[in-house]
Amino acid sequence: MLEVIDGGVRTTVQDMGRRAGQALGIPPSGTQDGFALRIANLLVGNPPGGPLVVREDPGAAGLEMTLGRLRIKALQDHTVALTGADTDATVDGEPAPPCWSSFVLRRGQTLACGLAQNGARAYLAVHGGIDVPPYRGSRATHVNGGFGGLEGRPLAQGDRLLVGAAAAPADELGGRRLRPDLVPHYAPPFEVRVVAGPESHLFTADSVETFYGTAWKLNPKADRTGMRFIGPQLSFKPGRPRYLVEDAGLDPSNIVIDPGAPVGTIQVPSGVEPIVLCVDSPSIGGYARIAVVISTDMGRLGQIRPFEETRFVCLSHEDAVAILAEQEALIADPKTIV
Amino acid sequence: MIYDEPVFKTLGDTAINVEFGDETSIPLNFRILALDFALRENAPRGLVETNPQVRTLGLVFDPLATTRAHIVAHVKDLIAGQGTVSTLPSRRVIIPALYDDPWSRECAEAFGVRNNIEYIAAFNDMTVAQVIETHTGCDYWVTGVGFVPGAFMSYAMDPAKRFGAPLYRTPRTWTHARLLNFGGTTSTIYPIRVPGGGQLFGRTPIEIFDPRERSPAFADGPVLARAGDRHRYESVEREEYDSIRAAVKAGTYEYRVEEDIFDCAAYVDWLAEMGEPAEKRDPESTWGPA
Repeated sequence: MLEVIDGGVRTTVQDMGRRAGQALGIPPSGTQDGFALRIANLLVGNPPGGPLVVREDPGAAGLEMTLGRLRIKALQDHTVALTGADTDATVDGEPAPPCWSSFVLRRGQTLACGLAQNGARAYLAVHGGIDVPPYRGSRATHVNGGFGGLEGRPLAQGDRLLVGAAAAPADELGGRRLRPDLVPHYAPPFEVRVVAGPESHLFTADSVETFYGTAWKLNPKADRTGMRFIGPQLSFKPGRPRYLVEDAGLDPSNIVIDPGAPVGTIQVPSGVEPIVLCVDSPSIGGYARIAVVISTDMGRLGQIRPFEETRFVCLSHEDAVAILAEQEALIADPKTIV
Repeated sequence: MIYDEPVFKTLGDTAINVEFGDETSIPLNFRILALDFALRENAPRGLVETNPQVRTLGLVFDPLATTRAHIVAHVKDLIAGQGTVSTLPSRRVIIPALYDDPWSRECAEAFGVRNNIEYIAAFNDMTVAQVIETHTGCDYWVTGVGFVPGAFMSYAMDPAKRFGAPLYRTPRTWTHARLLNFGGTTSTIYPIRVPGGGQLFGRTPIEIFDPRERSPAFADGPVLARAGDRHRYESVEREEYDSIRAAVKAGTYEYRVEEDIFDCAAYVDWLAEMGEPAEKRDPESTWGPA
């Protein structure tokens, strides 16, 4: 069991997310950075699940910290791992083992994360997984809907988190780390790969060029629902059918309600500030979609900090699938953890 | 416009949209829902989930278990085998509502306008009483469920009674749960407290989304509405609203949901008799499907 001393900026219980909810308006939720949570789980000997809602298995639940500052006390010995953003964590005031490695947090010790030094989200996995009741097949928290995770809300001081049964003694799983060449570096300019979107043909050729040629800056109001990017205005081709004024709305970016991708759809309301729909996003939209972020890069996207520069790079669907296959091979490879 | 052939659009590495047209149309939605039912009965390997909406069927698939081409070929075969939609399973759901309610007024006032139902009335050249009479005067077809948990889109089935009002230009930062509202001609209900730009005109005492799933109406999940439902609104006074609300909270309210089969072909014929065009065209438009 773990006791929350301070929930930090915002910390929630997350796994790889909830599937089959789109037709009910229920978003997948789950981790924003699938790679970081899955590696954290592998480090502590948990099932990694995933990738993002495509597979049945949501994997073990861990904690997602936005910008860090979680302080948590172990009420018994637990093997844990921190991944994602580096938070200069300490254990009882001494520097904790480095990020992307596992270690044993002894009964009575307090793990204190500082503010994220690079990246926007840090992850804590614990051997056995955070044991909150699953809701519709997943332990992921959806705060707006008030379900999943711990009572559907972020962690707060005094919360106690049950941990699933340990399959191995705590000491056996300590001291493992991610193969060093695989440790991601979260530094701008970020490159986020996308596939051309279903309404990219409605934007002018110049605007499509501008979209891919711009170093966009993340709007600080970004969250797990959506991330807006500040940059030049994009415009739409003339010749919009007049009946869409009544059927979809006055603005040229309005299209008749559409189901989104699970996550990653980039809408451009009124041609201003492209918004990437994230894991807690609405399951439908009504704005032209210029591109869709590939599932493998949603993690990198979740590590962008306000005002950091990001470029979107266009790939084919086939290339995106090949990248996903590569990532899954890496997750399955026992040599990924050394 | 209704496309000659359905258009398959790729969304990243794990999703496809099947689009039948670019307009809002109940008959178009019949085709989407019929395809969704067919896919539930005959799902290709690797299909993860479907999301039917007014003119589009969203498909999520596992590209490591199948390919985009396999899913598209499977769906094309199903469409080819379908022909015209004659009937669809369609539940009829009665939704009681207090129109011109204090919570909608409070929400309107918090964002600088006196009230939305008077605006809806003025926009449609009606009185407030006519707004209520018209909204309760025909069934609303649920074309799709989504946005936030439990939210849905629905449209008046009688074209003579179809009305609405434009969304706010800048959405409110909050709206009370269970408020009825119009966004254009889309009639819906906010299931939970959320931001939103719909024009508010009433509140239902019943739950639209209940993660605790307390009533048999929520036996298959936390969401009341299903794509293909027919909703009928009933105007209640404050006293009845309060007593229904108390029963809902106590878990004793019996939701009025009736399983039924809807005759889609007869409805399409009736629309034609009413003089409704089969599709919308703008000869000057140069926007195509892709």
